[in-house]
Amino acid sequence: MRIGDAKQSYEADEAIWTSQTQKLWLGLFLLILVVFPFAVDSYLLYLGCLVGIAVISTTGLNILTGFTGLISLGQAGFMGVGAYTVAWLSINTGLPFPVTLVLAGLMAAAVGILVGLPSLRVKGLYLAIATLAFMMYFIIVPLAVLMVLAARNVFRTRIGRAFIAIRDRDISAEILGINLLRYKLMSFALSSFYAGVAGGLFAYFYRVVTPESFPLSMSIFYLAAVIVGGMGNLLGGILGAAFMTLVPEALKLLTAALTPFYPNAPVFMSPMLEIIFGALIVGFLIFEPHGLAEIWHRIRRFFRLWPFRN
Amino acid sequence: MFRNILKKGRRLAGLGSLVAALTVAAPVMSQDKEPVVFGGSIPLSGVFAFAGIHIHAGLTDYTNWINSQGGINGHPVEYVMEDTAYEVDRSVAAFKKISGSSSPATYYGDSTGFMKAIASELNSQGNTLMSGASFATALTDNEQYPYQFIPGPNYSQMFGIILEYIATQGEGGDMPTVAFVYSDTEFGKDPIENGKARAGELGIEVVEEIVTKPGSVDVSAEVLKLRRVRPDFVVFHGYVLSPINEFMVQMRQMGLDTQFMGTFWSSDKLIIDKMGADADGYMGVMPYNYYDSEESGPMLDALRAQAEKSDPEAGYRPTGYMQGWFNAMVWTEVVKRTLARCGERTDRRQHGGISCLD
Repeated sequence: MRIGDAKQSYEADEAIWTSQTQKLWLGLFLLILVVFPFAVDSYLLYLGCLVGIAVISTTGLNILTGFTGLISLGQAGFMGVGAYTVAWLSINTGLPFPVTLVLAGLMAAAVGILVGLPSLRVKGLYLAIATLAFMMYFIIVPLAVLMVLAARNVFRTRIGRAFIAIRDRDISAEILGINLLRYKLMSFALSSFYAGVAGGLFAYFYRVVTPESFPLSMSIFYLAAVIVGGMGNLLGGILGAAFMTLVPEALKLLTAALTPFYPNAPVFMSPMLEIIFGALIVGFLIFEPHGLAEIWHRIRRFFRLWPFRN
Repeated sequence: MFRNILKKGRRLAGLGSLVAALTVAAPVMSQDKEPVVFGGSIPLSGVFAFAGIHIHAGLTDYTNWINSQGGINGHPVEYVMEDTAYEVDRSVAAFKKISGSSSPATYYGDSTGFMKAIASELNSQGNTLMSGASFATALTDNEQYPYQFIPGPNYSQMFGIILEYIATQGEGGDMPTVAFVYSDTEFGKDPIENGKARAGELGIEVVEEIVTKPGSVDVSAEVLKLRRVRPDFVVFHGYVLSPINEFMVQMRQMGLDTQFMGTFWSSDKLIIDKMGADADGYMGVMPYNYYDSEESGPMLDALRAQAEKSDPEAGYRPTGYMQGWFNAMVWTEVVKRTLARCGERTDRRQHGGISCLD
């Protein structure tokens, strides 16, 4: 039982992990992440990788939309820039994986500042690198953890606080001495950097990049992940990304369960699942406008006082 | 052109009767034999659901039919599928799930994009043969895609057939002009470069190229572009239904007498049925018989009987149904030859269906 966490210094207040319990759970979570690929089949491993990529990109968009208050529908486009950068670099320069990934992020950040989109007419590029999903997991997931941590750190600095000030009231922020243009562009660049890295991973993961891989609906997917998860909350980004990636797959189990009784179930259930998925999103937003992260926090608060009543 | 198409139809019927004869000879299916699994990433929702539900029906009916004939050399056939919404990442997820649980001998891929993305995985697994909705030119490269085949002429060849026909339609020594209208997908873009090159060789001028989203509805701006250049022919590619109907209706309303043509997926009889007079004269490339064609043969008869049995209300079955059925016929033949060559193997589940066939 943990009934409160009084802090006695600003350092303690700014600390990333505020309590021992939190450290314990986090350690357990990281352990699960490490054991996960050894315990599951290639299908779940694939979904794990997808979630990892989605977490990075969602965290990026969360910086822009959740923390700075700017809506962007360009996230998929920036991922495309990252993916094409990685593809081009690995074919033409032979630079190692970490270098191309950082360059992909920087390239997307540059484009993010210009807010451009990759041309729809470019042809597909193919990656010659043969990486296995198993190896990719150990690249994607640690990187996702690292980048979420980095984002968490951003909000302990002047830059992060400036983003939040702009979101809450931009005029007040300006009066406080924050250069709006500079910080807004910085937020865009940071967000696009995340998208670029996610896109680069996407390219290595699938080994093929086509413009079709980054449609507008993908941008909406990430925006939905941020909103469903909880805007302005990094945990929200993670939960949102996992929700948006895994729920449609989980819903398919419903079809599988019905098929023995109704052989025609896949035909009528497939469009139904889209509706159920949409209804789930709407339902979550009606009952918890602050997103999945708030639900999570409520559960935590409950256990914090347990067995006493709130 | 039509003679060409009919010839292919007969070949299909011929192959069908061969398969039928072989299976009728061995109608006893012993229960203890390992099932042969046909896997599938099928777009039951999304922009190509229109075709997907018929492909699914075709594969389902074929599976029931082949099992009623004793399976493949006594092996029962199982058809295991997942919906993909025509999205590559979901299609890959479906593939991983199905290949993890059932070790499919053959697999139906739902899009050119997916079939390209999954190639390296197929190559490294080396025990699943894939064909599907795609007739992409790129997939005919045996070096890069050794485990995939396309069930008919590729999209570039389809364009070739169409353009050769167009080249014969000139009047008074003038070559007709043509416009390409295609979707913004891997599927849509596949034959365009080759198509333009072929048109150049034949001396046909490509006066306009229009790219749209598949299934898009508002095409009025594109129609205006077409009105400006007034092409003699418009070739549609990369669509199943919309926006072909929109293009044709609006162009007819503007009084254009353009001749419309399409590649396989854009040549379903439903286009004509739904549009009536506006679709008059529509022509397309069709490697298979239509469900209600006058052709007959043991396999076509079996197909119609099975379709009738599974859903007496359905009536006409679209090209997706025929395409799904045809894919499964080829798979059956491949599995048979694999069994003949490798013998009955008790470890099929571990080693998959076709690993023994080079």
